[in-house]
Amino acid sequence: MMDQSSHAFTKTSILPKPVAPSGPLAQYSHCLRASFGHSLTLMLRRQRIIFAAVITFLPVVIPLAIAFLSDSQFARSGVDVFSKMAGEAHINTLAPLLALFFATMIIGEDVESRTIPLMLTRPMPRSAWVFGRFGAYLMVSTAILGTSMLLTFGASTALSELAFDRDGLEKLFTYELAMLLALMANGALALFLGAVTKRPIIIGLIFLYGWQRLATFVPGVVDFLTIMKYTNELLPVALESANQVVREEILEFKKQQYLVGAGKAAITLLGITAVLLFCSVVVVRIREYATDRAAGT
Amino acid sequence: MSTIISAKNVSKWFGEVVALNDLNVEIETGVTGLLGANGAGKSTFIKLALGLYRPSRGSVTVFGESPRNNAAVLRRIGYCPELDTFYDNMTGYEYVYWLSRYWGMSAKHAQVAAEQACERVGMTDRMDDPIEEYSKGMRQRIKIAQALSTDPDLLFLDEPMAGLDPQGREEMFSLIRELGDNGYSVVVSSHILYEVERVTDNVVLLFQGSIMAHGKVREIRSLIDAHPHTIHVDCSAPRILATHFVQDESVLHLDFEGESRLVIRTKDPNACYARINAAALEPDVEVTRIHCADDSLQAVFDYLVK
Repeated sequence: MMDQSSHAFTKTSILPKPVAPSGPLAQYSHCLRASFGHSLTLMLRRQRIIFAAVITFLPVVIPLAIAFLSDSQFARSGVDVFSKMAGEAHINTLAPLLALFFATMIIGEDVESRTIPLMLTRPMPRSAWVFGRFGAYLMVSTAILGTSMLLTFGASTALSELAFDRDGLEKLFTYELAMLLALMANGALALFLGAVTKRPIIIGLIFLYGWQRLATFVPGVVDFLTIMKYTNELLPVALESANQVVREEILEFKKQQYLVGAGKAAITLLGITAVLLFCSVVVVRIREYATDRAAGT
Repeated sequence: MSTIISAKNVSKWFGEVVALNDLNVEIETGVTGLLGANGAGKSTFIKLALGLYRPSRGSVTVFGESPRNNAAVLRRIGYCPELDTFYDNMTGYEYVYWLSRYWGMSAKHAQVAAEQACERVGMTDRMDDPIEEYSKGMRQRIKIAQALSTDPDLLFLDEPMAGLDPQGREEMFSLIRELGDNGYSVVVSSHILYEVERVTDNVVLLFQGSIMAHGKVREIRSLIDAHPHTIHVDCSAPRILATHFVQDESVLHLDFEGESRLVIRTKDPNACYARINAAALEPDVEVTRIHCADDSLQAVFDYLVK
């Protein structure tokens, strides 16, 4: 291998020589921030963010509708309403949706818009590029979904048994944390799909809304191969039921469902996120993204 | 001159399609034209040199190292792709700015670099407009700006003249020549040979994934002994002039165009030029112009691919 210095040649710059970051750490930090800032700018300018926000904020209306329109006994418990909305809507439905909306495009957009050759010819660590963009996705989706959950909580206080007191805020915090973990795991999966496939949204839809729901009904342990299995384990909703008989039945049922516990579920979700992010970085390093896969095309 | 790009026994295939076949070439500093028809393998070669592809066989080095995932090499390279590669909802300035940031510049430095690069390509007035509103020529110029903003030692321009109007082409020719004069190394790909001829006489000719010729246009031409040179001579008496070549075995064909032009096809142009000079001294033949059409890169290319 030839020495780099042997390829130094005299050049009169027609533009000022750019200042390169000093050291690998500074380089990494610069690229991470560039990737984060660029991705954040792109996401906030997209029309789909309005669409995503509208859908995400729909659950806020439901507790209010129940409070003012419904006469059912269910309407009395703000805890039940909020738990149901946060668990079913925010964490298990909207978090995957936002992941599909934004995280699939983290790399997929560069492939689609043919900008990926420009990205991959920059002297930046591929992991900085991927992590920076993932960070932007996490910030945007957490802001939207977290705010929606907060407003849903506020709306649910219009019902009984829920208030902005210590118990209520602890509950809110637990759900917000579960939501964050769900966004991370679903987002990492969507990012990975965007890195390896040409149709990440379709495959993501099939996995997140098809397979995950199906696996819940399939007897056995196949639900371990879903993200929802672990996000559900973080939800205290069922155990908060006021009915003692129902509570015991649920506990027994959960034992039969190979309960993993909230702590292990959280660690698993973090693990899924880390593994999928790592895999995405590896894919970006080894895959040949290009626009002309064959000569002359 | 030193070698900056070296390809040794490089082949690249995509499934059953062979894009490059056992390519051996060394590209030195300065401006080099990468020529070939569509599908010849120009873009594939550039992508191999940029590290976007791995060779299926053989090796490619740039500045002595493999370029793939190599920050030290990529830091010295600029790339202007053939296709429009833009983000939605972004101005020209932002495009250059963010790509400078990805290079590793701080926000402050990237701002300055983007402004100066835009100015260098004459886009200052329009740099804050959305790219969607740009003409093809403006898009081309802003792509060049992003490649220049990091002041690379080696610049890959993939079909840079595509879509430019005549004035834009002249500006591009001028820019590439200026880059070359200032010591930048530039690899310009094109399927229009005239374009490359305007900026360099150092060419690599690709045909169906293989190197057909490499070197100076004239050197390449001299290697093609099997193909005759065509010399056009404008003179007052072409028929008298033609008599000087009738006995010449190296002359393959004589033809007349109008009343004042003799077209000579010869395997030995130097001997032919000597005879023309000798004939021009005679009082009956007034030679007004000698033009060798084969100096045209297009002619060389046509000979090679036929």
